Amino acid sequence: MTAAQTPAVAARRRNRQRHIAETLFWYVLLLFIAAITILPLAWTLLTSLKGPHDAIFSVPPQLLPQDPTLDNYARVWKQLPVGNFFLNSIVVAIATTTLNVLLTALAAYPFAKMKFRGRDTIFYLLLATFIVPPQLTYIPGFVLARNVFQYYDTLVALVFPNLATVFNIFLLRQAFRGVPNDLIDAAKMDGASELRIWWQILLPVIRPSLATAAIITFVTSWNDFLWPSLMLPTMTNKTLPVGLAALQGMFASDLRATAAGIVMTIIPILILFIILQRQFVRGMTGAVKG
Amino acid sequence: MPKKLNLTPYLFLAPALLVIGVFILYPILAVIYYSFTEYDIVTAPVWIGLKNYQQLWNDEVFWLALRNSFVYLLVTPILIVLCILLAIAVNRKLPGINAFRAIYYVPVISGSIAVGYAWRMLFDTNGLINGALLSLGLIKESIQWLAEPALTLPIAMALTIWLGLGYYMMIFLAGLQNIPEELYDAALIDGCNGIQKHWYVSVPGLRPQITFVAVISALAALEVFNEIYTLTGGLGGILNSGVTMVFYLWKQAFKLQHAGYASAIAMALLVITLLFSIVNIRSLERGTEQE
Repeated sequence: MTAAQTPAVAARRRNRQRHIAETLFWYVLLLFIAAITILPLAWTLLTSLKGPHDAIFSVPPQLLPQDPTLDNYARVWKQLPVGNFFLNSIVVAIATTTLNVLLTALAAYPFAKMKFRGRDTIFYLLLATFIVPPQLTYIPGFVLARNVFQYYDTLVALVFPNLATVFNIFLLRQAFRGVPNDLIDAAKMDGASELRIWWQILLPVIRPSLATAAIITFVTSWNDFLWPSLMLPTMTNKTLPVGLAALQGMFASDLRATAAGIVMTIIPILILFIILQRQFVRGMTGAVKG
Repeated sequence: MPKKLNLTPYLFLAPALLVIGVFILYPILAVIYYSFTEYDIVTAPVWIGLKNYQQLWNDEVFWLALRNSFVYLLVTPILIVLCILLAIAVNRKLPGINAFRAIYYVPVISGSIAVGYAWRMLFDTNGLINGALLSLGLIKESIQWLAEPALTLPIAMALTIWLGLGYYMMIFLAGLQNIPEELYDAALIDGCNGIQKHWYVSVPGLRPQITFVAVISALAALEVFNEIYTLTGGLGGILNSGVTMVFYLWKQAFKLQHAGYASAIAMALLVITLLFSIVNIRSLERGTEQE
């Protein structure tokens, strides 16, 4: 080792040590935040598996169940039509998502690619409704459901008002704008109708944005609570979040059962998230581009 | 040649506009009308002029709800700061970073009702929070977290922040990844340290995202319901300590069957969201122009 090399080697080593320390710092920080994020849900999961002899409350707290059991789940399942809740949630979310994306994709196309009278006026009017609190619409919505559309206490009541959302129109308009005009013009030269162009050429091109819109709509529908809670008094008609609120009322003092209910509500959407993780994240954030 | 009106665009728009007309535009008009009536949803509304608004003016709970909703808006700046920091933290190439991002995202998809009830268990008198604090010796006896009027709103706000962290983090992360690397290099050459570089490059670069998050999270804060509902068991907290505008609207309309009065509350809420969105967008736009 020559004298000239030593400082360089030392500097490199110092650099590497600094790098390791920095990396360690970030991992500790990230793990800490992950713990805060996961703790409430992990605690709920562990509580739901606790048997009658495991303490819910003790000093210091007992985290792990001594004799893990699924009894709490069985108890909730026996008392409440959880299977119905699942099915209702799935039916509503799929129906809402499919129809909503279809209708908003239809509406978004002319906003992006056609010139017509009143286009900007209609578009800004739509944008303005974005700030209307949805809860405001629930009072007249309730009257419509009971007196006009007669879908009170049916699942249709959850699908119908959510068939079109301004947010998705805006999102898909952005997507259509990104499609080159040549593509549309070429199809027109071939004599294709606007509807065919939309369905056969444009929809496949903007598929990532359609997935985004679909995911946002699905998650919103799945987790929706206030409107479904107003519309679905009959137990077997309830969706998961509304059923969970009912469970919370019935098992108020039974934390193990409540925990089981919470876990059963979260598991389906969590599985979906794990399968479609990449699309989820891109979907929920892709909506904002400056 | 006279231009023929092309019906095609209108046909494409019709279904969506019909839905939005029936379920958003018509309800606004209907609520304006209901707000001048006494209405219980079952029997026909009766015109009573400005009585609902007079009652609103003298209603202490309404003013409390208004105050609570304004306090709730504090979640917006907190979320912006925390989520930018979080986005900076996860915007680096470390092994396993995607797993962290995914974990932070779990509360977002879990849903506020399920998560709200999970938090209610945590803050239960016999919950984990008391157990942990007692065993650490930080408190001498259990605290009734959710029966303490001064704590209802802060706990609900903490829940809202916790629920939103992952979502807004992802938005800022996407924004950060759009900022060209050269800007950071230039900042380093200009002698910025690690923190200054984010202050002078990341924050200005995130302007569009900050505007978006400010508007969206402020609207969500003004419209908060699920957090209050789950944490207070649908009661609004001791002494109405957790009652916000939307919670009060819901209680008047659907618990007490005062749909006319609730419509007046809804009008107040609409005016506030309108003003707030305008101020929010204006001030943030002005900030951009000064760049």
